[in-house]
Amino acid sequence: MAETDGATASVEPLSTPSTDATSVSATAKPPPETQESIWLRRSVIVSFWLVVVLLGLPVWWKTTAIYRAELPLETMGAWAESKVCQPAFPLKVAVEAPIPAQDAQHLLRDTQHSLDELNDFSAHRLSLLLADAPFVANASQQIVTDGIAVDVSHDEDIALSVRLVPVETGHTPRSLLQPYSPRLDVYYGPSQLPTAASTGSPLATYIAEELHKLFGEEQALLAHLLSKTPGPRAPVAKRLSSGIIAELEHRSTRALKYAPTYHLTFSLFTPINIPSDWDIESALQRYMSPFLDSLTGIHNFTIDTQVQLYSGYTPTVRPEFDEQSKSWTLRKEDLSGFINAAEWPLTPSIGAGPTVNFVLYVPDRSQSPLVVKETGGNSWLVPQWGGVVILNPTEADEAAPAIMTREALAPAMHTFSTQLMSLLGLPQSPGCLPLRISTLVRVRAASLLFSASSTLGALARLYNALPSIPIPDKVAKSVDLTTEHLQLACDSLKEGRFHSALEHARVAEAEAEKAFFERSMVGQVYFPDEHKVAVYLPLLGPVAVPLIMAALKELQTTIRNFKARRSS
Amino acid sequence: MKLLLAGLIQLLLAHHALSEHTSNWAVLVSTSRFWFNYRHLANVLSLYRTVKRLGIPDSQIIMMLPDDMACNPRNIFPGTVYNNADRGLDLYGDNIEVDYRGYEVTVENFIRLMTDRVSEDMPRSKRLLTDDRSNILVYMTGHGGNEFLKFQDAEEISAFDLADAFEQMWEKKRYHEMLFMIDTCQANTMYSKFYSPNILATGSSEIDQSSYSHHADNDVGVAVIDRYTYYNLEFLETHVRDASSKVTMGELFDSYDPQKIHSHPGIRYDLFPGGEQEARKRLIMDFFGNVQSVEAEGAGRVNATEWEEDLRAIERMVEEAKRRHNATLAAAPQHASVIEEVKVMEGKRHVATEGAVRVDAAEGWSKQVVGFASLLGCAAIWVVGSWLEAR
Amino acid sequence: MAIDRQKALIFGAAVAVRLLLFTTFPSLPNLLAGRVEVSTPVTSFKRLQEGLFLYKHNVSPYDGGVYYQAPLLLPLFSLLPDPSYFPFASNVLYTAVDSLGAYALMQIADSMQAVTPRLFKSSRKDLRWSSVAVAAGYLFNPFTVATCVARSTSALSTLFILVAIAKASQGAGITFVFALSIASYLSMHPILLFPPLLLLCYDVRASKAKSAPSASRFAVSHTAGLAAACGLLLYLSYLLTGSWEFLQSTYGVRLLLPDLTPNVGLWWYFFIEMFDSFREFFLGVFWLHVASYAPGLTLRLRKQPLFAAATLTGIFAIFTPYPSIADAALYLSLLPLFRHLFPLMRYSFLAAAAILYASFLGPAFYHLWIYAGSGNANFFYAITLVWSLGLSVIVGDSLYAALRDEFDVERPELRGKEVKRI
Repeated sequence: MAETDGATASVEPLSTPSTDATSVSATAKPPPETQESIWLRRSVIVSFWLVVVLLGLPVWWKTTAIYRAELPLETMGAWAESKVCQPAFPLKVAVEAPIPAQDAQHLLRDTQHSLDELNDFSAHRLSLLLADAPFVANASQQIVTDGIAVDVSHDEDIALSVRLVPVETGHTPRSLLQPYSPRLDVYYGPSQLPTAASTGSPLATYIAEELHKLFGEEQALLAHLLSKTPGPRAPVAKRLSSGIIAELEHRSTRALKYAPTYHLTFSLFTPINIPSDWDIESALQRYMSPFLDSLTGIHNFTIDTQVQLYSGYTPTVRPEFDEQSKSWTLRKEDLSGFINAAEWPLTPSIGAGPTVNFVLYVPDRSQSPLVVKETGGNSWLVPQWGGVVILNPTEADEAAPAIMTREALAPAMHTFSTQLMSLLGLPQSPGCLPLRISTLVRVRAASLLFSASSTLGALARLYNALPSIPIPDKVAKSVDLTTEHLQLACDSLKEGRFHSALEHARVAEAEAEKAFFERSMVGQVYFPDEHKVAVYLPLLGPVAVPLIMAALKELQTTIRNFKARRSS
Repeated sequence: MKLLLAGLIQLLLAHHALSEHTSNWAVLVSTSRFWFNYRHLANVLSLYRTVKRLGIPDSQIIMMLPDDMACNPRNIFPGTVYNNADRGLDLYGDNIEVDYRGYEVTVENFIRLMTDRVSEDMPRSKRLLTDDRSNILVYMTGHGGNEFLKFQDAEEISAFDLADAFEQMWEKKRYHEMLFMIDTCQANTMYSKFYSPNILATGSSEIDQSSYSHHADNDVGVAVIDRYTYYNLEFLETHVRDASSKVTMGELFDSYDPQKIHSHPGIRYDLFPGGEQEARKRLIMDFFGNVQSVEAEGAGRVNATEWEEDLRAIERMVEEAKRRHNATLAAAPQHASVIEEVKVMEGKRHVATEGAVRVDAAEGWSKQVVGFASLLGCAAIWVVGSWLEAR
Repeated sequence: MAIDRQKALIFGAAVAVRLLLFTTFPSLPNLLAGRVEVSTPVTSFKRLQEGLFLYKHNVSPYDGGVYYQAPLLLPLFSLLPDPSYFPFASNVLYTAVDSLGAYALMQIADSMQAVTPRLFKSSRKDLRWSSVAVAAGYLFNPFTVATCVARSTSALSTLFILVAIAKASQGAGITFVFALSIASYLSMHPILLFPPLLLLCYDVRASKAKSAPSASRFAVSHTAGLAAACGLLLYLSYLLTGSWEFLQSTYGVRLLLPDLTPNVGLWWYFFIEMFDSFREFFLGVFWLHVASYAPGLTLRLRKQPLFAAATLTGIFAIFTPYPSIADAALYLSLLPLFRHLFPLMRYSFLAAAAILYASFLGPAFYHLWIYAGSGNANFFYAITLVWSLGLSVIVGDSLYAALRDEFDVERPELRGKEVKRI
């Protein structure tokens, strides 16, 4: 406010200076102004006004405008309503058959036919193709369990290869799914091969049914995902029974939100001072890393570990001693309160990603064994958070080991890896890890696609709803990148290149988040127009009044002079 | 492998009906500093203690305290904060995690927190990392008026700002349900502008009503708690004893007595799906506690040898996949990964130039020569100028 | 000879006072260099030393956001030995700078442009102080001495402004333009002095040459000269630092006010309190406010361009973003040139009292705020308001006096009588 004092003090004599020149003694009649002083006064007034108009107004316009970059609102809305992309999941299944190409083609056609008839989810389609490298028949007699037999195709986008193996003995047709290689071995009797004339051979039907079964869960997952997005999807979506929906819903509440990197925290808590150390590094190396490595295409993991001594569970939880089983039991209601959130230093905020907690609790010997009353088990999973295992010291450890060996940790690690799988949303069937992982790739790609699209929609609605928020160019750029990568992801999905689809969807999601959470997009704090008067007036008022008054006065005299001249 | 599967199936069987949210968060904000506002900080600390007691971990509580009463020189009980004249409970305890303190408590930071528009280097503990399955309790206290709440006597947040922030949260699916609670003068005006769904709001006083403090502690010398917060806490302490409590929000709202509170508390139901009926049925624990549904697993004995074999198989599989991946990379470089590698390279080069470098004083006289030359140049211009003028 | 002896005495005494202060109170320079009233972020000697250190270590002096001053100062100061170990050289330099400034002031006074410019003969033209007295007023002004002892780089700007005015009042066009462009290069706002000084130079040239040179050609050639000189200095800086980034750190800082360290001006407090969304707008308003005086004053005081320039320096001392007492010292040293106006000034006592009050209480209140903790920012801000008020009263009052003087010449019959403004 002092500013205005200073300003007025010096502005007033300046903007109305020439009045001094016209001052007169109180008694004398004012003499006529000289032409020169009139010119001088006018030019001074004009010079001030020129500064105001030529510089002041543009400054005002430029500095008080809220910059809002153009966003492709319609495109964004279209993505959000799933009008742009109808995701499809065409899966390639390679078939290796030790039979002449003609017969194989025939079998393929039959199988494809019955497969299509079985399928009620048009967005997810299995298409069979004949593997080019023929399979060597005599190697087929032994069952390959090690799972390292090289896949016929080096194409990563082949979802599954079906290998036909002729056998003479045993029940045919029967199939065996390799647990660690995306391969289904089908054993058939020589008679079951379709002949050129016949249609609908039992072998073809059998293979079709097996394949359909294998991808049943994946179809359900994808259909569920599709059904939750807005837009015209009804004809594509597969009907799911309410039971399955509930189960899928339940699973989605358990699984963690997708993140490119997860931080795994392994913590050892004990109410006493033993065990004071654990051989966690080698245990993780041995029991966890193979599993984590198999997921590298989808997630990265960072790991930290901690040992906390004298850290009991929540004091309000009181296990009861069960005489029958000679064990301390925790009721199921206690489990949710078991984690001592107030005392245990969990979720350490290390690293970029969300934390998954794995808690290993070693109870005091006086309270061991400690088990869950209802199930008799010693572990539980906390949805979207992590898992807990109670590791009761065994009788053999009577010597109170201060250090837990790798072997002692093995059962806990096993439980943790199971829990992690379920927390990551890995589907539960089929019994073949590569297949489940590739299903996860598809599901994650689709869900990222949807979430990035919905973020775009949210941003577009926000853009319209809150005009006071500035939108920098960075946001527009991110939005463009998002739509570009969404389109790429969508195309990749349709072409069956799921890894690249995931890659693009991931970029799209990251860019969409970046656009939505742009730091400078915090709106001007609500500022009603009457407040603006309070901001402008105290400062500009005192400056403006002499300026305006001088200009008005000058106008008045000009008009009066003009009139006087007209009348004379 | 079979065992892995068996475990999964057991997991599957063990599940039971879930409540709809999976995490609980609390944002507790005091907006006033200075000693005579002791009660506002005590309000927040009391709420903090309650939600922590009911199971929300510190990592999911964002507490904003503009001042440190425990260390205030006027506090004759240093290191403590009490919310009752009997001084039975030290709210400060030994385990308090204040996320935003002092001058960090600003309108801008609060809105940034709610909308998660924070800088990249903001630690995760100071962020509200919620999603569409999170229930949030927002508790605010301070000095306010009609449709505004003052922050630290310097600025104010208006009901419109708050409503817009919540709308942005809703758009980005940052909450499942929200309980907004505010204890300030004319508090009910603060939630009157909300327009986003799934918010249940309650405040201490109607428009043109003040919110009063409950009682003063003569030794501390100032009021220690506000009435509305006091009676909320009293209810929570006496009726919600542990995390398994089934007391509903309706019961809490029914316990509000304008006679005792000296103002008329308000409740806004209309944004909540199902309106008043549904809202009243919500459990206190849905907002003040952290009921984690757990899935207990059976006692499966692990066949160690079989499992180890499984692990070895996975290892081999991974190696095989890696080998194949490399082979395809060598044959036909994959687009995305190539780009990524290039980026990494650039990043590294960048780091090399940006990193710490040893700086030594320049050797020789080059700087002095430059200085002397420029000095000489200016002098020359000056002399030439003077000579031209003199002519 | 008497005059010369007087001159020698004055200059000798001034040099002696400065060197005595430097040597008898070795901690005084550093103390003053840390005072916000004397050293602003854009003139501080401590920041200059930091920039110098970085420069000598081949790091961009603008890294770290401490140094905001012109790049060419660095090679010049690198000629001196390190002031933290051998302060004598820089002390002598600053003493010399002050003496040169006083010499320039004497030249201005001797040119008689203050009382009898070409278009106007003051009716009180006999009432004037000798040039030695004016120089003494500059040399022994405590504000000047404090600036010199604090080794603030505003002493250099002051010198070049004074030289520019002196050269303009002698009609020396080339050196005037060159001096003014150095002053503008050092602290940017002196460029606003160009219009009145150009008129001054033109008037002097016209009265000397009997036949007035072409006004438009004169204006164009000098404006081009100014642009060329500024461009040359900027280009030299570019060559020196290797990039144009110095613009952002020197003139950008002066324009956008990112450093809100308190000073004796009005901006810092206002922009601490400003709503962020209006910050840019009011930056524009404040700068326009400063700039708008230049054309208005030049037009109104067409007949007395030296007075217009002097008044502008007073306005700079009040309304620029980083003023210090050095700016006030410049204005207060130019005022004695207009001794003939003093009888017409009405509020001399008020202004003097305000300035004295602020000078004594300012440091005290700053101490209460920053060190004792028993006051707050408003204490110091109130004092800066009083300071600005005192200066604005002087500016306004002297303007009134100058106009009244013009009026007296125009209408001699009313001289000395009470007049009324309509």
